[in-house]
Amino acid sequence: MKKSVFDPMLLTAIREVWSDLTLWECHQCGQCSAVCPSLSHGGIRIREIIERVMLGAINVEKEDAIWSCMMCQSCTERCQLDVNPSFIVTLVRNLASERGHIPKHYLEEARLFIRTGLSFPKTGLTKKMRSEMKLDDIDIDQKTMDEVKFIVNRTRLGRLGL
Amino acid sequence: MSRTFYLFRGCLIPTRLPFLERSSIFVLDKMKVHYEPLPGATCCVEPIGLRSLAVDTWLVAAARLLSIAEENDRDILTLCNGCLMSLKEAKHALKSQKIRDRVNEVLAGIGRRYTGKTEIIHLVDLIAKRRTALDELVVKRGTGMRVAIHPGCHLVRPTKLTSYDQSYYTRALSEIASSLGAEVVAEEDWPNCCGGGVSNVNEVLSSKVLDELIDEFATAGANCILTPCPFCFVQFDLRQKRGMPVLYFSEFLALALGASSEEIGLRYHKTKVVV
Ligand code: SF4
Ligand code: SF4
Repeated sequence: MKKSVFDPMLLTAIREVWSDLTLWECHQCGQCSAVCPSLSHGGIRIREIIERVMLGAINVEKEDAIWSCMMCQSCTERCQLDVNPSFIVTLVRNLASERGHIPKHYLEEARLFIRTGLSFPKTGLTKKMRSEMKLDDIDIDQKTMDEVKFIVNRTRLGRLGL
Repeated sequence: MSRTFYLFRGCLIPTRLPFLERSSIFVLDKMKVHYEPLPGATCCVEPIGLRSLAVDTWLVAAARLLSIAEENDRDILTLCNGCLMSLKEAKHALKSQKIRDRVNEVLAGIGRRYTGKTEIIHLVDLIAKRRTALDELVVKRGTGMRVAIHPGCHLVRPTKLTSYDQSYYTRALSEIASSLGAEVVAEEDWPNCCGGGVSNVNEVLSSKVLDELIDEFATAGANCILTPCPFCFVQFDLRQKRGMPVLYFSEFLALALGASSEEIGLRYHKTKVVV
């Protein structure tokens, strides 16, 4: 564990993202880690992450491991104390995003959502396949886009300055 | 049960895998399920990447989709494990009055309101409930397929939210597959991750998870993978090195219900399927 990092405000910051946390229920049993496919291939060490979040021992601007969780929900299913570890990862990622630590792919995905309302691009191939398969053009109308914009502007995504 | 569903197509299927939409429609029509596309549909908010950037954006956007369905007293039918998880988790979070009030405050700005009436159901669960009707419609049973069953994480976990009573050794897909004459040679006791959740962020990790899974399927003697998740489908069809073909759930059903591979677009698979 990196003992050098200490951010006394980490939990407060996470609570600002999501106030209902059951983090303190964690008794470090490690059952989450035991079923984590990311960890078994050298990715995120989920039990340790939970501990470090409690201790404020994460520098969210630099911690790459948080982006190695596959959100498979195995840890959340396994945890008998309802700590919901995968959601804790989501919250830490929210904080990291706020501080500019976002993988490039997700940055592009977010911009696409803001611009088009979808998370995947409609390409020439989309159009071709859809017409060959006799499917509609999946056009999103202006009213829907206005609603997306309104929601984005009133929530965190709008504050990320994308 | 002639209630009309709102079919929520998500993003990945309509943009990159429209042929999966085609086979799903084929199956729904054959089974006389009434559906209409969800009006005003947007991304569900994709629960691995996008939600990781902004949980409140996810919650409000998901609540908006649910409120549209509520307004017209419809339930939502989804073809995607990711959409299922995103909407179900949102519905769960919105049980908290405090959270619901805050979300409704934003929704009021676009003239909408979330009340929590709408249910969300995945195609697998819909079909599992209509097994007798399915059996009566089958025209082609088994074609020497030895399938590996891959439910995908978000169909079954967390069980607190899904309709499964346990998250291990789930039977729905295997039972449907064998009743249609396929030989089920591999099942995942604890439904495995395909590695898709990090495929665009950490390719090395993603491939390791994927390769290990495919090796297990191959060792069990599978010649085809069956999955109801479009994200898993992409991992198997585009990123897998061994060349084991994959069928999405509705493709597998459509073939049994008499669809030709031509009309459901099997030619669009990168890893060729021979049926
Ligand atoms: S999060 Fe749950 S499973 Fe993981 S160490 Fe803590 S109590 Fe155990
Ligand atoms: S959700 Fe993430 S941390 Fe939890 S078991 Fe899956 S990969 Fe590991």
